[in-house]
Amino acid sequence: MSQKHEKLIDKKGLRLDGRKPEELRSVQIEVGILPNADGSAYIQQGKNKILAGVYGPRELHPKHLALPDRTVLRCRYHMAPFSVQERKSPAPSRREIELSKVIRESLEPSIFLEYYPRTGIDLFIEVLQADGGTRCASITAASLALADAGIPMQDLVAACAAGKIDDIVVLDLMDTEDKIGSADVPVALMPNLNAITLLQMDGILTFEEFEKAVNLALEGCRKIHAMQKEALKTKYVNVKEVEE
Amino acid sequence: MSSKLSNGKKGRFVSPGERLGVIEEFVADAGTYVRDGVIYSEVVGRVLPDFMNKRVSVYPLVRKLRIPKTGSIILGQVSRVQKQNAFVRIHNIGEKKISGFFSGILHVSDVQLRYVDSMFEICKPNDIIRAKVISEKNGTYHLSIKDRNLGVVYAFCSQCGYMLELSRQRMRCPRCGRIEKRKTSLDYGKGAIA
Repeated sequence: MSQKHEKLIDKKGLRLDGRKPEELRSVQIEVGILPNADGSAYIQQGKNKILAGVYGPRELHPKHLALPDRTVLRCRYHMAPFSVQERKSPAPSRREIELSKVIRESLEPSIFLEYYPRTGIDLFIEVLQADGGTRCASITAASLALADAGIPMQDLVAACAAGKIDDIVVLDLMDTEDKIGSADVPVALMPNLNAITLLQMDGILTFEEFEKAVNLALEGCRKIHAMQKEALKTKYVNVKEVEE
Repeated sequence: MSSKLSNGKKGRFVSPGERLGVIEEFVADAGTYVRDGVIYSEVVGRVLPDFMNKRVSVYPLVRKLRIPKTGSIILGQVSRVQKQNAFVRIHNIGEKKISGFFSGILHVSDVQLRYVDSMFEICKPNDIIRAKVISEKNGTYHLSIKDRNLGVVYAFCSQCGYMLELSRQRMRCPRCGRIEKRKTSLDYGKGAIA
């Protein structure tokens, strides 16, 4: 099993896909592409393709889950069987259940849950194609879907990961870098409030490296936030003008 | 309303969380929230600063959330009838369809001004009714059809399921000839089912 991988960063300092260490993958975001959902968004980040759909606030079933003082956010992160090289069982895996929880908890602080007591918001995230960093891309898309659904929010949530490969701290790891590299730090940020809603670390970093990775990821989040705003603008400003 | 719409075209486009000002400048109005003395937007929309009244609001470009409130007129389907109560699945608020449904309850005392003995002669399961939300106490929507415009909009024969016709104050099934009783609204059989 001990296969020697190629260097993740070449002599010119470029990564496997030709990116610089502090460069994001190309990101395309589209808002409101599912007519049946109350709100939706689609994101492509490198080879990641992720759909997010939001329903609600609506009556929560089963009713015993409803809370008297706030709405319940339910989140399902799911990877399509064809989203990875080898077929993934469509049943929710342990990893997917944990990611559902992690994504839910990173979005909950951005929503005014107390506005709609005894109701529920259902959030569905479908990973159509995965290439590392899906939790961050999912959070980015899900936050836009919530905004598209008209749910009052404190701020959008933008997420981005940083990590360490070949002893260099880099931004936005893709799948191979994540697997072979030595650390991964996903961060979700509410950029206007400057509040971190998700911070995880997988692997080993020194304190200095960790600090550098977080700052790099925050920088990435801010760039992604600008793209989120642009995506909302393209849907709402242009569509409205055509209608009138 | 039209003036509000035209205003909605002009203002600056904002996404949730954008800073609009401080509470010393403005009173935070609809579509905004205050945190540490700073006013932020809470929806996707356009900013409407009202310098005359010192107010700032965000005109939403996203859909309006629809949740039944006391006073709203709803359209729903009767799911279960007991002697004293009928249970209604609320599907429409006003004219607009909602995602999913909310559950409401209609009590015999809220059916007509006069005394009503049994709910069975007011509505039956699967009937479409128009009702008004009179209370949302204890997290349940209490409905009322004490109005000429409220009541059963579409009724179905409990014997064969065919849509009942209203002829001379009684409900008659055109297929099997069965006669039934309902508390109909004024526009029975005329409105469209969304």
